[in-house]
Amino acid sequence: MSGRYQSNEPGTGEPQAATSPGQASTLPGDRPDCVRQGTVPDVRLPGQHGGVTVGRRPLEDSEADGGMPRLALLSAIVNSSDDAIIGKTVDGVITSWNPAAERMYGYPAEEVAGQPVTVLCPPDRVGEIREILDTIRRGERVVHRETVRRRKDGTAFPVSVTVSPIYDEGGQLIGASSIARDITEQQQARAAAALRRRADDLERANRNLETFTYSVAHDLRTPLRALAGYSAVLAEDYGDALGEDGRGYAERIQAASSQMSALIDDLLRLSRVSRAEMHLQTVDLGAEVTRIAAELQRDDPDRRVRFAIQRPVQARADRALIRCVLEDLAGNAWKFTSGRDDALIEFGTTAAEDADVCCFVRDNGAGFDPAYAGKLFQPFQRLHTTREFPGTGIGLATVRQIVQRHGGRAWAEGAVGEGATFYFTLKAGEIA
Amino acid sequence: MTNRPILLVEDNPDDEALTRRGLRRNHILNEVIVARDGAEALERLFPADSASFARPGLILLDLNLPKVDGLAVLRRIRADERTNIIPVVVLTGSKLEEDILASYRDGANAFVRKPVKFAEFAEAINTLGMFWLLLNEAVPD
Repeated sequence: MSGRYQSNEPGTGEPQAATSPGQASTLPGDRPDCVRQGTVPDVRLPGQHGGVTVGRRPLEDSEADGGMPRLALLSAIVNSSDDAIIGKTVDGVITSWNPAAERMYGYPAEEVAGQPVTVLCPPDRVGEIREILDTIRRGERVVHRETVRRRKDGTAFPVSVTVSPIYDEGGQLIGASSIARDITEQQQARAAAALRRRADDLERANRNLETFTYSVAHDLRTPLRALAGYSAVLAEDYGDALGEDGRGYAERIQAASSQMSALIDDLLRLSRVSRAEMHLQTVDLGAEVTRIAAELQRDDPDRRVRFAIQRPVQARADRALIRCVLEDLAGNAWKFTSGRDDALIEFGTTAAEDADVCCFVRDNGAGFDPAYAGKLFQPFQRLHTTREFPGTGIGLATVRQIVQRHGGRAWAEGAVGEGATFYFTLKAGEIA
Repeated sequence: MTNRPILLVEDNPDDEALTRRGLRRNHILNEVIVARDGAEALERLFPADSASFARPGLILLDLNLPKVDGLAVLRRIRADERTNIIPVVVLTGSKLEEDILASYRDGANAFVRKPVKFAEFAEAINTLGMFWLLLNEAVPD
């Protein structure tokens, strides 16, 4: 962006005429419509300093090709630039101001001349200006620094700034030139490109996940059917030869195959609830639990379990997903109370500070050691052996996943032998 | 009741053996023709020599097949008037919602997931055979 200055490479340019920096009026002999506020130094970048040297020879000596005064030509270049080109003293007082600076910052030249350059930056960036001026005093440049500047109306915008020290013919540091480019559009384009890349990555990841899920669903179970199938065939066709132990082993193969099949199903379900589209509506959770309780009783008619279900419990939820939550929690309560004659499963709400609705499912079953409460919601983590209570360890991970997708949280309380209470929060539904 | 053969489109030899056993055990004695991928299924159903076409009484169709997948086979079956009257039961390892929906959309008569438990698998095969070959009135010859 500072190409115009840099085109004058170190050592290639003679020091030529210019006005002194800080001149704040139209220069005599120049075209007023082109040159405003013009400190328009002839510039070169000496290798030692890495800065700009301003010559002080008279204007007449600075005839450029084509008969145009050298200074006028340079003024025209600066004034036609789209970059804000600003001169300032080493103390940061603004001394010159091109039309692009006026457009970019919204200050007319007359208003801003003599002001500290800090008026151009947001209050929280004043330290940065000081740091830049320190750099200039050391004779160094600041090149393409991306930062934020402030317009007269207070709005901030992103810029890329290059600031160079300005020297007089004697090598004395007399100020700094700063060239600022509004990079709002570049930043927007960059952000849009980054967003596109992320969207592409996400789409690719989703496609991979779908392929993976499909493969898990179709292929992972196939060998299990062979294991379960042939072990059953062995027991059926060669049962006598196998003997009692052998038939027991064949049964174990079948049981293990079934367990792995259940694991695959639960994993697929976890994956599905993580991806499923949500359709939020007001759902009566109490009615759902009532239905689930009836199904549990129907599937296991010999059990005697008392249910205490609060109704209605209105919450905003995806009906299918929240039903998964309630099925898992009520199913767990049903399972873990299997050793009790006076099994009681409660569903209701309680107060919570951070949520509209806080539901709980409580049972008086086997409970759990609270030391491991955090592990409960991790996939594959079980606090009981499959011999005590069957399961895959994925149900509560699914519960937490669904509740989190609803913007809520899930946790558990319990003690060994004293039952368990599972809580989850949701947003309120409309009052029915 | 139909004596027409069953076309079993199944690439896995274990599933094939267990299906055959399930049929035999349940005294479903229709001939079982096996196609081990989708392309072979299409060759069986649409032979170059159309005189050798023998319409199966039931097609048991796996979805995840080498070469031509099950849904493509199903669409070809439904698009041809010689085959679009044959009952097709999708018999596959998954019960992914998208598979079930796609199967019915493409004209499957039923969708059955192969259970892992052999007793359930055998029962499923038995039920399918009983229903489609015995109970159901077959397409008139």
